[in-house]
Amino acid sequence: MPPSHNIVIQYFSRVTPTVRHRLLFLLVGCALLLGYIFLQTSADDNSSFLAEVSRIPVYLAPVIIAGLGLTGIIFAGGIDLSISTIIVVAGTVFGILYDYGASPGVCFFGCWLTAVSLSSWNGLLVRCLGISPIIITLAGLQFYRGLALILADTLMPDFGGGLSIQQAAYQTPAKEYAGWILAVVVVAALVWEAYGKTFRSFLALGCSPQACRIAGLHPGRILQMSYLVGGLFLGVAAVLYVTNRQVIEPARMAMGFELSVIGAVVLGGTNIFGGEGTMLGTVLGALFLYLIGQAMLYAGVSEYWRTAIEGAVIVAVIGFDCALHRRRKLLDELR
Amino acid sequence: MTPPTRVMRRFTSWHLLILPLLFVAELAVFAPISGVRFDSAEALGRSSRFYATDLITHAAPLIVLVVGMTAVLMTGGIDLSIGSMVALIAAVMATFDPGASFWWTAVPLGLLCGLGLGWFNGFLIARLDVPPIIATLGTLFLFRGLCEVRLGDQEFGTFYDVPGFAWFGGLSGSLLLITLVVALGGGWFFHSRLRRELLMLGGNRVAARYAGIPVFRRTTQVYTAMGGLAFVAAICFTARNGSVSATSFGGLELQVIVAVVLGGTRVEGGNGSIIGSVIGVLMITVLDEGLRSAEMFHADALPFKIQHLKYILMGALLVIGVWVNRPTNNSTG
Repeated sequence: MPPSHNIVIQYFSRVTPTVRHRLLFLLVGCALLLGYIFLQTSADDNSSFLAEVSRIPVYLAPVIIAGLGLTGIIFAGGIDLSISTIIVVAGTVFGILYDYGASPGVCFFGCWLTAVSLSSWNGLLVRCLGISPIIITLAGLQFYRGLALILADTLMPDFGGGLSIQQAAYQTPAKEYAGWILAVVVVAALVWEAYGKTFRSFLALGCSPQACRIAGLHPGRILQMSYLVGGLFLGVAAVLYVTNRQVIEPARMAMGFELSVIGAVVLGGTNIFGGEGTMLGTVLGALFLYLIGQAMLYAGVSEYWRTAIEGAVIVAVIGFDCALHRRRKLLDELR
Repeated sequence: MTPPTRVMRRFTSWHLLILPLLFVAELAVFAPISGVRFDSAEALGRSSRFYATDLITHAAPLIVLVVGMTAVLMTGGIDLSIGSMVALIAAVMATFDPGASFWWTAVPLGLLCGLGLGWFNGFLIARLDVPPIIATLGTLFLFRGLCEVRLGDQEFGTFYDVPGFAWFGGLSGSLLLITLVVALGGGWFFHSRLRRELLMLGGNRVAARYAGIPVFRRTTQVYTAMGGLAFVAAICFTARNGSVSATSFGGLELQVIVAVVLGGTRVEGGNGSIIGSVIGVLMITVLDEGLRSAEMFHADALPFKIQHLKYILMGALLVIGVWVNRPTNNSTG
């Protein structure tokens, strides 16, 4: 079959069947859940479907955008467990700049830049030390929280555990533009993935570092690059995460955020060991997890069940998928 | 009896000695801060006894968990769900009537619950072939969610009312559990065939299957054992804290993994030592205790809260420990 010039067909023919099936499942699942929520909201006078949909970006934007960054890193066979505490440091920098009277633009830029530089620092460490990325970023998870607390302690004399942001001007990105920022970033990421070479080189590295080296690519440089690219996304996610709240508490903020993001990425069909997956999957994965929680609320299930359902969905979907491919994998192994 | 030559060979590799040396150096720095006094032999004896009691009671639950986690990492797996698992087991036990009947209703049920949750992880990983990191990530959310469903927003502080339960939080209870788990369990494990089978499983799964090792059964057993140890740790924790809420023990899994990895076990599987992991836990506990006392006695020495240094030092310790311990010359590393 001659290669098609249609970019959408190209995009989907590049991914493996496993990922394609997962994308299909998530698309249908999200559509069904949205339909269910639509039916429930139209039956109920107190709630409107549009209001429900417009709430999605405010909750989901940080998860999806950080997820897009992490997807690139996981493509390349790395992982970043420290994204939550990088956001904490970025938030602390934001709070300190606010306290020193900087204008909103400077605050946002400082927050973004902090996240980008810490993520690239992770990449540099992974490349130079030759230790597994899990360990480096696990150490980062501890280190950056300490860094945030010490920064706040030293630079702000009256720091009492929380940095309070009162003016509305400093919260516009999350409160007013979350939907637009999310849309722009997602479209940009998908276009970059479809047309650009960067993410394909990440995938190549994830598939086989040896093959990469033989083909003339530089594995270390690509891995470091994946953390830098991940940082670009993470910075935006950090701005959206931080501006969504009035008080920034470095000791407690964003705990477990990295696990929700990894959950969304993995549910989207990205192979945790690298070399397989799509950006689109991550977006759909995060959306599916959120929508299923909302649909449960409309079905009359208590809010307390949300975390349990999130976990059950991850376990069930991936367990089912793995069980389907298990026989073939075993035979491959024993051949 | 181990022949002396074998022992010698184990220690001729110089980086096996680094970890104990690092620990001794750390102890030399933090013991005086934590109140160990060197004025006279008597003061030294008394203060170090206090210090050791403190260390052991704080380290006990972590040591118990670390033994299981080392075995899990040996097989090339990982268990991210233990924090939630401990919380869920504690939550199940907390809702029972805190009388004498607690001992024959809640405790066996907690043990059953621990084994069941561990078995569920093992089932996902061995039977359904889900990668361990994803399976246990999913169960992390699942168990935490069930814990929230069970407890809601309340905090259950019934454990102190159970007769004799607080004993497990004291020195003798902690020592008993540590002895049972590490000295007896770990000692048996070190010389057992099971250990070599697990190592082989982590080194090369296909080869292990060809060698006739029941891969699925061993994997399930390891995760089930991890669940059982999570139950023991839950008893330790609740006996000391006396209460449990829906957010308890978050981040415990990372603490345990830091300790195990610090002890020289590789996350890729195929090697691991329980003694190393125990030293890893002790290092973390010494650090924690030292900074806590420094906060109390020298609060104004630095322009920030000294306890916040804990995160920085723990991260740095992890990277340095692993970097020093990393395999250098051979192809297996």
